[in-house]
Amino acid sequence: MDHIDFNRLKTGEVNLGTSIMAVQFDGGVVIGADSRTTTGSYIANRVTDKLTHVHDRIYCCRSGSAADTQAVADIVHYSLQMYSQAAGKPPSVHTAAAIFQKLCYENKDALSAGIIVAGWDDSVGPSVYNIPLGGGLFRQPWAIGGSGSTYVYGYCDATYKEGWGRDETVNFVKNTLSLAMSRDGSSGGVIRMCVITKDNVERLFVPGNELPKFWEGHEVLGAAPKLGKVVPDVVPMAVE
Amino acid sequence: MAAPNVYRPTGFDFTNELRNNFLTQKGLPLPKATSTGTTIVGCLFKDGIVLGADTRATEGPIVADKNCEKIHYITESIRCCGAGTAADTEFTTALISSNMELHALQTGRKPRVVTAMTMLKQMLFRYQGHVGAALVLGGVDATGPHLFTIHPHGSTDKLPYVTMGSGSLAAMAVFESGWKPNMEREEALRLVKAAIAAGIFNDLGSGSNIDACIITENNTEMLRNVEMPNQRVQKERDYKFRRGTTAWKKEDVRKFVVDEQTTLIGGGDEMDTS
Amino acid sequence: MTSIGTGYDLSASTYSPDGRIFQVEYANKAVENSGTAIGLKVKDGIVLAVEKLVHSKLLVPGANRRIQTIDRHIGLATAGLLADGRHLSNRARDEAANYRETYNAPPPLKAVADRLGLYVQAYTLYSSVRPFGISTILGTVDEDGPGLFVVEPSGIFYGYNGAAVGKGKQLAKTELEKLDLSQLSLREAVIEAARIIYLVHEDTREKEFELEMSWIGPETNNTHLPVPQDLLEEAETKAKEQFEFEDDAA
Repeated sequence: MDHIDFNRLKTGEVNLGTSIMAVQFDGGVVIGADSRTTTGSYIANRVTDKLTHVHDRIYCCRSGSAADTQAVADIVHYSLQMYSQAAGKPPSVHTAAAIFQKLCYENKDALSAGIIVAGWDDSVGPSVYNIPLGGGLFRQPWAIGGSGSTYVYGYCDATYKEGWGRDETVNFVKNTLSLAMSRDGSSGGVIRMCVITKDNVERLFVPGNELPKFWEGHEVLGAAPKLGKVVPDVVPMAVE
Repeated sequence: MAAPNVYRPTGFDFTNELRNNFLTQKGLPLPKATSTGTTIVGCLFKDGIVLGADTRATEGPIVADKNCEKIHYITESIRCCGAGTAADTEFTTALISSNMELHALQTGRKPRVVTAMTMLKQMLFRYQGHVGAALVLGGVDATGPHLFTIHPHGSTDKLPYVTMGSGSLAAMAVFESGWKPNMEREEALRLVKAAIAAGIFNDLGSGSNIDACIITENNTEMLRNVEMPNQRVQKERDYKFRRGTTAWKKEDVRKFVVDEQTTLIGGGDEMDTS
Repeated sequence: MTSIGTGYDLSASTYSPDGRIFQVEYANKAVENSGTAIGLKVKDGIVLAVEKLVHSKLLVPGANRRIQTIDRHIGLATAGLLADGRHLSNRARDEAANYRETYNAPPPLKAVADRLGLYVQAYTLYSSVRPFGISTILGTVDEDGPGLFVVEPSGIFYGYNGAAVGKGKQLAKTELEKLDLSQLSLREAVIEAARIIYLVHEDTREKEFELEMSWIGPETNNTHLPVPQDLLEEAETKAKEQFEFEDDAA
C-alpha cells in the first residue's frame, strides 16, 4: 500500500476523501463541504454535493465511501419519513443522529462512513452530532471530518469562539474548508455550504476561483535571489 | 449410529472459496470474465439526453466482439450504457428494465429516471461491488431530463455530462473542453461522437464503432453505428503465393469419404427415420 | 351444531353473519368481571387507580400488583385477566426498550400504544389463540405533557382525559365526567381517584379489596411511581368519609 489506508476502502471504490464541517450558532447551524469525489487518482466528480438532506431541517455531511454513505443516508431519509408520519411531528436532530449511529455501529465491519449530522429542531434548537468511523455518537458545538480535517484541527481550536452570529460562522466554515482543501490532495473543487435555521435552509456556493486565500509561499521563494553578493565570483574551470 | 446431518446451515456457503484458492495456488486460476473495456458517455442538451458508447468487447488482450451493443434498453425513454463486466451490465440492466416495466404497469405512470437509478444503486450496493457494473443512466421523464453515473459499489452522481469505463478520461477531456449549457441536438451529438472517438483512438480497451442514443421528451432515437471509423477495407496488397511457386516430385490422391452399406437382417422393414 | 349454539363463537378467526367476532366480545366480558381500574389526566400529571379485589385473606397485602411500570415515564393499569395483564406489560416494556434502542430517546406514549394495539389486534386474527381478556390503561408525562390511552381487547385504542375500565366503569365514568380534570392538581386527583374507586366498590358490593394507586407528575419528577403511603392513607380516609356522611344523612 503506497498511501495511508484512511478509510479502509475496497479496491476501485469511489471515495469521498473529503473535508466536511458543521458548526452551530445561536440561531442555527452552518454545514459545509468540499466537492471532490475520487477513484484512485482520478476525480470522478468535481462538483459533488456532500451535504445531504435527510429531513426538512436535518442534513448530513458525508465522508468515506460514496456508496456506503449514500446508502446509509438513503435509509435514514426513509426512516425519518416514516418517523414523522407515525409521530405526527418532525424528528429531532438527536433522533436522526441516533438512527445514523445505529446503522454505522451495527455495520461497522462493512462500512467506511464518517458522518456529521446537523440541523435544527423544536426541543434544543440548533445541534451538531459527529459520528466517526467506528460508529460513536458525540454532540459537539463544531465538528470537522474527512481526510482534510486532520490539517485544520489546530486552526479550528485556535479560531472558534462561542456566541458567533450567522455571518461569522459562515466565514469560519469557509476559511477552515479552504485551508483544508489547499493542504489535502483528496479535497478540492468548490465549497458548498448550508445555513439551517428554524425558518429555512439556505444554500451557499463558493466557486473554486473565489476561495479565501491564505499564505501560498510566493514571497519567500521569490525573495531569495535578491540577497546581496554572498556567492563569490565563479571562475570557469581552466582546461589544461 | 446417528444419521449423517443432511441439513445445511442457512446463508451463504463459502466452502468453494477454499477450493478455488487452492486451485489458484496450484496454477489453475478462475476463468476471466469478459469485460467491456469501454468508453461510455452521456450528455445533457436543450431538449434531452444524448448517450454514447463504443462497440468493443474484450477478454483480456483479445477483442471478443468488434461490434457489440452497450446502450441497453430500460424503458422507452430511459436508456443505460454499461461498462465493466459484460455479463453483469447485460443482466442488471435487463433485470431493472423488467422491474421498471412492472412498476409502470402497477402505477399506471411513465416511470422516472430516479426510480431506475435507485433500483440499480440498491442492487449494486447489496452486492458490495461483486456485480461489476459501471453505468451511465440517462432519460427524460415527467420531471425533465436526468443523467446519472452509477459505480459498481452503488454510489451515484448526477451531472450534466458524464463518462465511464477505461476510456472515460479521454472522453472527459473532450467534454471538459467542449461542453456548453443548452446545446442544440446536433451540437450535442457531435460532442458525444467526439468524446467516444477520443476513447476509441486513445484507449486500448475501447474501439470499433460509435453508438449513440438521443432521448427527448417524446422520442427516443437509437443511432446504432452512427459512425464507423474503423471499417476494414480491401487490402492494397495480398500475401498469396503464385501458383507453381513450389515444385513437386510426386502426386498421391487419397479418398477420405467412407462408403457404408446397410444390410437388413431378420424380418420387418427398416425403421422409418424420415 | 345446535348443541353448541351457532358455532360462530368457537374461533376468533370466524365472523358471525352480522359481522361480529364473538370471541372478542367474550374477552370484553372477562374485563367486565374484574375490579375497576381508572386513570385521570390532569393539568400536570397522571393518576392511575385500581380496585384490586382480594379473593383470599391469606394473600400478602400489596401482592399481585395490577399497576406496572413500562418505562421511567410510563405506567400501565389493567382490568381483566391478571396473567394477560402481566404478559402485555412485559410486551409493552419490550416495545418501549426497542424504541429507546432505535431512537436513543424516551418513547412517546402514542408510539407504545400504537405497537400494543397492533399486538393485541393480532390475537383477534387466528383460531389458535384467544384475544386478550384485558383492557389496559396507559399513562405518561413527557415533553408534550400528560397523556392517557386505553387499549381494548379488539386492539383498538383511544386517548382520554379520564378513563375507566372493569366492573364499575359506568359509574366511574359518570363520576369522572363531573370533575373538571384540566383544573385539578395532581394531589386533588389522587384524592378523587381514591374516592371514585371506593364509590364504585360500594356500588358493586364486592367483598374485600385493596386500593392500588400510582402517579406521574412534578412531584415524582415526571416518573411513574406508587402514590406514597401517607398520601394514600389520607386519600383512603377521605374516601371512606363520603359514606359516613351519606350514612349520617340517611
